Amino acid sequence: MAVALLAGCGASEPADGGPVTVDVWLMRDSTTDDFTARFKEDFEKNNPGVRLDIQIQEWDGIGPRVVSALAGNDAPDVIEVGNTQVAQYAASGGLTDLTSKVDDLAGRDWIPGLRDPGALDGKQYGIPYYAANRVVIYRKDLFEQAGVTPPKTRAEWLAATEKLNQGAVQGIYLPGQMWYALAGFIWDEGGDLAVRDGTGWKGALATPQALAGADFYKRLQALGKGPKDSDEAKPQQSDVFAGGEVAQMIAVPGAAKLITKANPALADKLGFFPIPGKTADLPGAVFTGGSDLIIPVAAAQQEEAYQVVKSLTGQKWQTELARTMNYVPNRTSLAQAATDPGAQAMAAGARNGHGTPNSPNWAAVEARNPIKDYLTKMLTGADPATAAREADAVITAALNTGR
Amino acid sequence: MTKRFLALIVFSVSVFPVYWMVLTAFKPTREIQSATPAFWPSFTLEHFGTAVSAAGFWSFWRNSLLVAVGGVLLSLVVASLAAFAVARMRWKGRKAFILMIFVAQMTPWEALLIPMYVIARDTDMLDKLSMLTLIYFMITLPFTVVTLRGFIEAIPAELEEAALVDGASRITAFRRVVFPLLAPGLLATSLFGFITAWNEFAFANLLIIKDLDDRTLPVWLSSFSSTFGTDWGATMAAATLFMLPVLVVFLILQGRVTAGITAGAVKG
Amino acid sequence: MTALRTGPALEVPPVPRARARRITIWPYLLVAPTVLATAYLLVYPLVRNVVMSLQRFGVGELIRGGADFVWFANYVEILADPQFWAVVRRTFVFTVVNVVLIMVLSTAVALLLTGLGRWARLMVMGGLVLTWAMPIIAATTVFQWLFASQLGLVNWVLVRLGFDQFEGYTWFASGTATFGILVALIVWQSVPFAALVLYAAMTTVPAELYESAKIDGASGTRMFLSITVPVLRPMFGLVLCLEVIWVFKAFVQIWAISQGGPGEATTTLPVYAFQVAQALHRFDLGAAISTVTVLMLTVVLLAYVRTEKAR
Repeated sequence: MAVALLAGCGASEPADGGPVTVDVWLMRDSTTDDFTARFKEDFEKNNPGVRLDIQIQEWDGIGPRVVSALAGNDAPDVIEVGNTQVAQYAASGGLTDLTSKVDDLAGRDWIPGLRDPGALDGKQYGIPYYAANRVVIYRKDLFEQAGVTPPKTRAEWLAATEKLNQGAVQGIYLPGQMWYALAGFIWDEGGDLAVRDGTGWKGALATPQALAGADFYKRLQALGKGPKDSDEAKPQQSDVFAGGEVAQMIAVPGAAKLITKANPALADKLGFFPIPGKTADLPGAVFTGGSDLIIPVAAAQQEEAYQVVKSLTGQKWQTELARTMNYVPNRTSLAQAATDPGAQAMAAGARNGHGTPNSPNWAAVEARNPIKDYLTKMLTGADPATAAREADAVITAALNTGR
Repeated sequence: MTKRFLALIVFSVSVFPVYWMVLTAFKPTREIQSATPAFWPSFTLEHFGTAVSAAGFWSFWRNSLLVAVGGVLLSLVVASLAAFAVARMRWKGRKAFILMIFVAQMTPWEALLIPMYVIARDTDMLDKLSMLTLIYFMITLPFTVVTLRGFIEAIPAELEEAALVDGASRITAFRRVVFPLLAPGLLATSLFGFITAWNEFAFANLLIIKDLDDRTLPVWLSSFSSTFGTDWGATMAAATLFMLPVLVVFLILQGRVTAGITAGAVKG
Repeated sequence: MTALRTGPALEVPPVPRARARRITIWPYLLVAPTVLATAYLLVYPLVRNVVMSLQRFGVGELIRGGADFVWFANYVEILADPQFWAVVRRTFVFTVVNVVLIMVLSTAVALLLTGLGRWARLMVMGGLVLTWAMPIIAATTVFQWLFASQLGLVNWVLVRLGFDQFEGYTWFASGTATFGILVALIVWQSVPFAALVLYAAMTTVPAELYESAKIDGASGTRMFLSITVPVLRPMFGLVLCLEVIWVFKAFVQIWAISQGGPGEATTTLPVYAFQVAQALHRFDLGAAISTVTVLMLTVVLLAYVRTEKAR
């Protein structure tokens, strides 16, 4: 019986002559189900004999999963990874070098915020997929009721949010651990998360600039009921926004789709504005996030995998992606592909885009993020400077892990 | 009176989280998200619908059953042989064997995640449920040997001797006399192993990489909250369904399990 | 099953000499599958783990293979790290607090069970079984939710009881509170097993012992100390060992609830090893930590077994 069970559950490869299956890992919520379905159908039609198996991965715990996939004998053929993660995977030797394909993929046109993190030592491993930065999504009806208009400066923003934060309405839903938002506020003050220190790095949260950014975070966070000990995924902030009387939240514009999916009644009540900066001249600093596509060395279908990458990062599907998901496409020539208000707000904010500290070890900091602990401590009454110094020590240690 | 009162407290404390899970599974979403918790819901089966119709639910269910049952069966077969040798025979190395089992029983399995991954990869066993079955077999083996030994020793040796005197071979004596008396013990022990395997998360999470359909229930359940967002109802409904088989078998076998452990341990 | 409860025969069956010589190969054949399985699925991975802990082994080595030996450098790095010793101390505190609570509570519950009438006993046992059967992941999720700052039941009850400072109180922001919640969760999950086993063992104590003690006028406490405890010593020993192992290596609960945080307040050895291996990708250091963990656990438990044997 047990022997029969054992024999029965070994997965068998398809027989020769059947279609080639290409495994593609995309991330949760990076595209809609409809988009992936249309892409799959189109790709399979244009590439007879190839079957796409697109699997949606959860962000939670994705780092170790990608590593064990890269180290396996039979890795997925294409993987979407965060742009800040490519360097460490490339350094480990698990990624196919795609430098010779850059011209074929119109690489000259790629936006730098995606192209640079995808490269290591002059070789291109990650192919830019899409970029996005955060904006403020707001409820037009609640703004109208409170008699406020989208703010242009931080001072206006605080004043408007305070006005909105009345009765059952939350002025803003800002969970305590949204460290990307904190990063933006710190950049606005002229600070950074970590700075170079000789040949190494050191955490910079305890600098006066960074503490000023944290103080603004604290004042803003108090104007709503965001949980101080949790991040935007626990619970999903788009669900909170859809379910309650929340006037604003900080998110990529694509989150509006998730909100209206959960609560269709909000469809025409959502507006967008760039995160306000210190002055009206320049919007608030934002983290340029995004994804690259990689092909593992261990992938079985290298050629087909490349065709998938080429197609997903090509003009047709980039335009589609920009339209359906409101992302910034991977090439500058398509910048106008999206014309809706969310994309416009994002493009306006992108003028002041920043990246995380450029170290291959930064992924290790994010893996168990001391900035989140710092935020919770600071928001729940600990001395900000002390908590910041503690976090700095962890960041410094992680960035300088010798290799 | 005070004893009854204490009993009530013990009962309430132990059952409350279970109650809360089942209750939430039946609550309409609007009541779950209400600021005033309802302790008695207006029933809905909606969440169970969401959980059951989630992509892959039935294959995760089947996978979990397959690896847990497969691992436990294998360990029953292998362990009952060893347990018989320890309980009924005197041989050189018996003490060392018992010590080996004892040490095996206290291995922190999670410490072996990475080496196990490397071994599985090098033998082409990644992404295979059979690898999980083997691991669950090994995790449950030491405990099964110890417990079965207790059960076998509890069976009067005279019965077996009588059969031997009647001219039966050692194997026939075991099959005809010992095995029928052992059956309840086998069932009880297997349940314990089943729970361990049924709950196992770390190996299932690491060794099943590429084929999401090959995941087991605990791995799926842990990613469930991100899949379903704040849909607590669906999460709790899935958890309730996850608990169901264990509970059913448990209610049938509970008394025997504890008796079996006692028998195994009193021998020391 | 009644045969079991009265306790198994202690003496080894008398095997005729001639017969014993003839079947002498049998025991080895019978234990062979167990030994082989243990060798391949336990000893071999343990050896691989030790080898890995003597190498430089990061993501690159995992993917490309071909790791260089650095011998004891990883062990030196860990043992010289004050953070490691803080984690070890915390793990011991965590284990002791949990195991003491589990043993005390489960003994109390087992004693309570022996004194209950049929229906009350079935009710309590049913409750314990439900708890035991609840999947670990599900229980963890429920606890997390009970203590959530928004819509969490605990805060709601506390506010209702008049403690207004618990409105939106953030339990998981405090190291002590998170530690306490984890202890509550693990104790809650462990007591049913221990209590049911101890209760089953208590029912094997011959009733005559208690009766004669009663005639001699012994109190309940005295009977517990002079009859129950000595008779059940091996049983307490086994449950204690199992619980120490279980708590010491508890990982899923801690990782799911706090990931070892806030700060390092709930980072125990298994969590620490996981962080080092999976987050920092130092598989070599992780292997060294887990080797040290196995050694510590073995030393503690073998020391216990020796003292028990010596009695």
